[in-house]
Amino acid sequence: MENNAVITINNLVKRFPVGGDFFTALKDVDLKLNKGEFTGLVGPSGSGKTTLLNIIGGLDSPSEGQVSVLGQALNDTSHGDRARLRREHMGFIFQSYNLLPVYTVFENVELPLILNKVESREREEKVTQAIEWVGLSDKRDSRPAMLSGGECQRTAIARAIVHQPALVLADEPTANLDAENSHHIMKIMLQLNHELSTSFIFATHDEKIMAYLRRIIHLDDGQITEDEKIKNPKTSA
Amino acid sequence: MLFKIALKNLLGARLRTFLNVLVTAFSFFLILFMSAMYNGMLEHAKQVTMDTEIAGGAYWHPEYDPLDPMTFEDAHSALPGDVQSLVDQKKAFPVLVSQASIYPGGRIMPAIMKGIPPGQNIVNMPTDALFGHDDIAIPVLIGKGMASDTKLEVGDVFTIRWLDADRTYDANEGTVVHIMDTENFKLDMSHIWIPLKKAQTMLAMEGEATYVTYEKGLPPVLDKGDWIPRDINYLVQDMEAIIAADKPGAQVMYIILLALAAMGIFNAQVLSIFRRGREIGTLMAIGMTRPRVVGLFTLEGGLNAVLAAVATLIFFGPVLWYFGVYGIPLPIDYTEMGMIVAKRLIPVYTIGLVVSTTILVSIIVLIVSYLPSRRIARMKPTDALRGKAVA
Repeated sequence: MENNAVITINNLVKRFPVGGDFFTALKDVDLKLNKGEFTGLVGPSGSGKTTLLNIIGGLDSPSEGQVSVLGQALNDTSHGDRARLRREHMGFIFQSYNLLPVYTVFENVELPLILNKVESREREEKVTQAIEWVGLSDKRDSRPAMLSGGECQRTAIARAIVHQPALVLADEPTANLDAENSHHIMKIMLQLNHELSTSFIFATHDEKIMAYLRRIIHLDDGQITEDEKIKNPKTSA
Repeated sequence: MLFKIALKNLLGARLRTFLNVLVTAFSFFLILFMSAMYNGMLEHAKQVTMDTEIAGGAYWHPEYDPLDPMTFEDAHSALPGDVQSLVDQKKAFPVLVSQASIYPGGRIMPAIMKGIPPGQNIVNMPTDALFGHDDIAIPVLIGKGMASDTKLEVGDVFTIRWLDADRTYDANEGTVVHIMDTENFKLDMSHIWIPLKKAQTMLAMEGEATYVTYEKGLPPVLDKGDWIPRDINYLVQDMEAIIAADKPGAQVMYIILLALAAMGIFNAQVLSIFRRGREIGTLMAIGMTRPRVVGLFTLEGGLNAVLAAVATLIFFGPVLWYFGVYGIPLPIDYTEMGMIVAKRLIPVYTIGLVVSTTILVSIIVLIVSYLPSRRIARMKPTDALRGKAVA
């Protein structure tokens, strides 16, 4: 069972300096997520969802406690090692898409593969496949400015999964989208979760997302208040 | 990999890149142009000096010091054997130098009187204007500056007084036969040029001279007596001293231009890089390490410099070429200020100037790209992702 764990967190505390004092964003968080989980971190604004997601992604460091992601203890790793972990095994999806504006859809999706030094022919195949998955084949040469919000987020998803990472971290991926696009995107991610066994973690307070989740971790005031397994989540069908 | 991303970023950010490149190219152009102007000025000054005064070099009477008129009195003798041979072969010409006083318009003025063979064609001086004039006591050639100072015109007669070899003062009427338009103020200011034979007779120094100027490309002579050979390097050293004295000024100018260029580029780069905080955060989030982020943005700066060099060639190349061929007319006659400056200044673009300017501008661009990107790459990725401003 231990080998199946993608994320293991013990006694995590995260404090931020505010003025001369500290604000505690996460308190004594213990968490374990297994391979292939489709999990949501749910809670009101300021509950610590994004902070937890950032720490899992190695973008931020814990103040106390142990965080192990994909078998690597993040407390002991350098910036470079964490960057490598993200580059090779993680994908990120942001609320505001964070696409590079001067790149086309194809080039945005291609970027993680370039960073992973994937050979150009293989890159072409993988990017084409990822763009097909998200249904943007006809937009591959468009720049983000020419895309709708839903199309931008689908591009961001393609970028997050093009290198087939073990873990995808999505921070409010549907916050800027309408209901139709939100459902479309969740279905794409659910499908990827099924087909590639990619683990997904969402930070969200969007009800539409919650319907698709198989596990919901409730956060409030920096603490896990409930860890809920969903017996009949919504499926792609 | 970084190169490919940097190139994509640069070409993708069309307007931003265009503006950055334009600022850099303009700075590039300014530095190149100003330095070339300065080079052109110095080159011209040297060339004019060699063309009108130095030729291939000179042999000086041992007493002669052009900066000390008191030495002129004793600085004359017959020419040593081989030096005389050069003169006989018309490969050199002698000049006899003496102090004199002139009285143009009733005023007294000190002057340097030089006797020169009218038929010489070794230096570019209109000495042939001194030919003939058998009806004139002393035919005199002066420069435009001297004419202006003395208010003399062609045909004007004025008194010349001199001390001859017997230490006797004598005087006679000189007549201006020609006013030369020379850029070399050293031939002009306080100078009166008269035929050599006339000077030798007036000064009672028959067959004697103060110095001999020889044509270019001649080897040193053996029998030069105690006369001192002065080669081109020695004779231009005054000019080089002026250049050297002027160098700090030029360097200050160069540094100011570089600083202006650096500030322009820095401003453009800082704006560009700091506005791209979220992009940097995204790159970090998808796995780019900090050194690579810094490398990427520094490389972008480097490519910016390369594009700027190309843009300089395309946009400003024709301007540089035009001025390089046709020159720039100067509004002031600097000759009167004791400077050899062409009336139409032609900038000189040397390979060294182009290469050093390219290297310098490139280094500046790299530094001003490196500094802000290093600073922003130090930010926490989470702050960069939020597009948080860098303090």
